[in-house]
Amino acid sequence: METNTEIENILIFKTNIKTETDYCSVKKILNLNKNMNEWSIDREDVDCVLRIESETLTENEIIELIEAFGFSCRELV
Amino acid sequence: MNIHLYLLPKMRTRDEHKEIAIREKAMEMIVNEGFDGLSMQKLAKAAGVSPATIYIYYKNREDLLNRLYNDVQKKFAEVALKKFNPDLTLEQGLWIQWKNRLKFIIEFPVYFQFFEQFRNSPCINHKDIDKSDFKENMKQFAMNAAKRGELSKMEPETFWAIAYGPFYTLVKFHLQEISMMGNSYKITDAKLKQVLKMVLMALKTK
Repeated sequence: METNTEIENILIFKTNIKTETDYCSVKKILNLNKNMNEWSIDREDVDCVLRIESETLTENEIIELIEAFGFSCRELV
Repeated sequence: MNIHLYLLPKMRTRDEHKEIAIREKAMEMIVNEGFDGLSMQKLAKAAGVSPATIYIYYKNREDLLNRLYNDVQKKFAEVALKKFNPDLTLEQGLWIQWKNRLKFIIEFPVYFQFFEQFRNSPCINHKDIDKSDFKENMKQFAMNAAKRGELSKMEPETFWAIAYGPFYTLVKFHLQEISMMGNSYKITDAKLKQVLKMVLMALKTK
């Protein structure tokens, strides 16, 4: 089970990005962000888990980014 | 002073025990409750880890399923190809295949059930499923046997049905521990040898 990213560079959040419309509105901005190696949202899950691989971004920066779109986002521990 | 703490990277360590617990529990849940019985939340509870821990390793359920299958497929090929090579005679090669496959089934019963379940589902067509060199080995083995005249001309499906069908049927009886007569059935080498003789005769008809 190998991931190329070091696990301390994987950030996990609980969000309310649930519907296709929600997804599309954050998709553009996440794709444009050059500081993310990879991102995904598990909309099947109750926590709509946002998973980000990034060497430079901090939890708070991501929370701010997502909240700016009117969605809730908090670190999942 | 405390401000320095902010600059420290978050201490997260890769925990192999957790990774294994996640994998084993996931397979158990699928075998017992089907693909729909598996959710990341339920899995976290069963494996005794937080949902966040599962998401460190896997993006979602689909990613988890695909990688479980790829791991099991690798393990199966490793066991099944031990001491095997496609140049063996039909009798030697088939015997080793039966014995190796039986070993895999008995040593890793949950893997085997998961493997079967996955292969019989549409998940098997996912783009992230690895191609295994196992298939190529098996194909080459049958082709070599045919070239040497150990096999009558037949379609690959017919070959598989005769060469492995009887074996897997007996495995099923063995696992269910019931025979046709209602008492317990156990596979033994002697029984398998007898069936192998019949199978070899069926594969080469005059």
